[in-house]
Amino acid sequence: MIECERLTKRFGTFTAVDHVSFKIGKGSIFGFLGPNGSGKSTVIRLLCGLLQPSDGQARIAGLDVVRELDQIKSLIGYMSQKFSLYDELTAHENLTFYARLYGLRGAALKQRYDQLVGLTHLEPYLSRRAGLLSGGWRQRLAMACSLMHRPSVLFLDEPTAGIDPVARRELWDLLFEFSSNGMTLFVTTHYMDEAERCSHVGYIYMSKLVVCGEPDELKQLPMVNPTDARRIDVTCDHVTTGLQVVRRLPGVRTATVFGQSMHLLVDKDTPEDFIRAELARAGIPHADIRPIAPSLEDVFVTLTSNANQGGGA
Amino acid sequence: MKLPFRGFSAILYKEFLVVFRDPLTLFFMFVPPLIQLVAFGFALDTDVKHISTLVLDEDRTRESRELVDQFVNTQTFRVVGEVHSVTELADAIRRGQAYVGLQIPPGFTRDLAAGRTARVQVLIDGSNSTIASSSLNTAINVGFRSAMLRLVARTGMRDLPVEVRPQILYNPEMRAPNFFVPGVIGLVLQIATMFATSMSLVRERERGTLEQLMVSPLSRWGLMLGKLVPYLCIAMLMAAGLIGIMQSVFRVPIAGDIRALVIATLLYLFALLSLGLLISTRAQNQIQALQMCMVFILPSIFFSGFIFPRETMPWIFYAIGTILPATYYIELQRAIVLRGACLADSWANIAVLAGMGVGVFSLCALQFKQKMA
Repeated sequence: MIECERLTKRFGTFTAVDHVSFKIGKGSIFGFLGPNGSGKSTVIRLLCGLLQPSDGQARIAGLDVVRELDQIKSLIGYMSQKFSLYDELTAHENLTFYARLYGLRGAALKQRYDQLVGLTHLEPYLSRRAGLLSGGWRQRLAMACSLMHRPSVLFLDEPTAGIDPVARRELWDLLFEFSSNGMTLFVTTHYMDEAERCSHVGYIYMSKLVVCGEPDELKQLPMVNPTDARRIDVTCDHVTTGLQVVRRLPGVRTATVFGQSMHLLVDKDTPEDFIRAELARAGIPHADIRPIAPSLEDVFVTLTSNANQGGGA
Repeated sequence: MKLPFRGFSAILYKEFLVVFRDPLTLFFMFVPPLIQLVAFGFALDTDVKHISTLVLDEDRTRESRELVDQFVNTQTFRVVGEVHSVTELADAIRRGQAYVGLQIPPGFTRDLAAGRTARVQVLIDGSNSTIASSSLNTAINVGFRSAMLRLVARTGMRDLPVEVRPQILYNPEMRAPNFFVPGVIGLVLQIATMFATSMSLVRERERGTLEQLMVSPLSRWGLMLGKLVPYLCIAMLMAAGLIGIMQSVFRVPIAGDIRALVIATLLYLFALLSLGLLISTRAQNQIQALQMCMVFILPSIFFSGFIFPRETMPWIFYAIGTILPATYYIELQRAIVLRGACLADSWANIAVLAGMGVGVFSLCALQFKQKMA
């Protein structure tokens, strides 16, 4: 559905997107991750035709985003970071405006309007001005607006930034529903739990696409699972102190805090008893250690540090 | 598939809602122009009358008092007091007590009687050029007339040998409001309309809604026209209000064809709103848009012929005036309102305004890039 080939965007001497290539199938939820300023939004804007690519090409539904933009426009929906709504208009007026913008009139407008209002549960807020809605409701309204014309591809730029956890979960439920109806979703996010729910993920770092694939595939990557090392989860008291201890130990390659525990990448031959004993010596007894599979975050942390060392992926 | 004005009705719907949703914006669009018109209309009065004058009468005869009366009878001068020395007279003018000092020396009547030139001195404060030139002209006239009448009396003729009978057409009382108010309407409309549209696209750019519009199949002609039409309606209402005030408050009747005035106003507003939109497509934020508007508004005050006749300007300022819509509109206003021109008389200026409007509007749509970079 979406294809990029060596897609590149330069702003003066700065390359914001550097030879990015990927393919996204119809009906998939593509999670696009990367630190702030890595080029996520630029890729979305290139795909939506808001920016002119400096090099390479991109196609949506087989149509070129530069030459066939006019046809693409009615196929895509775009929900920007800021949930661009007209604050002085009510929710109802915002919806009506976007519907008319895409040429919906009369009965067709009414039908689609009712459908989306039902889907997003916006009824109680229809007569309220968009500027007075809370973050979660703004987001729903923005989404309903961007869906009015039944796009086959929906781009969402950090749709859950600044939204409470309940609203986040409900948004994702909606996204799954859309995707099961055959809509292709392109979502940028900072949340790993959201990334885990995507059917495909891509990770962009310093303008380059570091990796792209299904989450499970990525966790199997050899560079994430070195043959001479293994991943363990260490659950203990005082994790932050524990982290300082284990980081100094020989045989420990990386150590990161995950809530109440630490994820360690250690040499294969480092015994668990050794770690347990060292933690006890530092005043942290009863450490619970078990082997784990890498998480997506582990994947991205590993790939980022590899990229920083100049290795790339 | 590709309709040239695609999305126009959606934008029109939204713009009307936005405009009427915000009473404050509407208030600031409507009320200041009305106040400005009334204020400027009254303030811009070059009818110089009753200039404060001090008299130093050292002759103190019937003839000298008659001369003072002749000055006063012109309506240009008003005696505010008498002084007793030349220094006192000069001091009073320097202090701003009076603009004019009339000094009649001791031998005035004696010289008159003896057939010698009787001299009178008039001191004029030159710091206000309008008052000074008016005083100067009137004083010289009074002198000429007085001298003439005496010469006529000596020759035994009954009337002056030559008499000029000026007849002022179109504004017979030479009222300043008749001259200025149509111009003020043009300027006030320009300020209100240009600010309104120059903000419109910039505001959407700042808020991020422009991006949302650019990913939609909206055509740029549709966008521009949808943005312009609501303001055109509002501005026409405003123009009607201003012209109403001109007739009722300033008692300036419309001598000419009202249809010509409507057409001229419509085209003028269209040109200005397009110019505002053009600014809006270029400016990155509202402050920039404001500054760009000022670039057009100040020259419109000075170079459009609103106050100073363009014919006397150096060629560069004359040229600047040529490209300002206000120049043509103010000229049309004066022609239609004062000289009673009809549509056929005004077609040249109307055509220029129409050309400017269509040209600038097309430029807006054509150079508006639906890309950010």
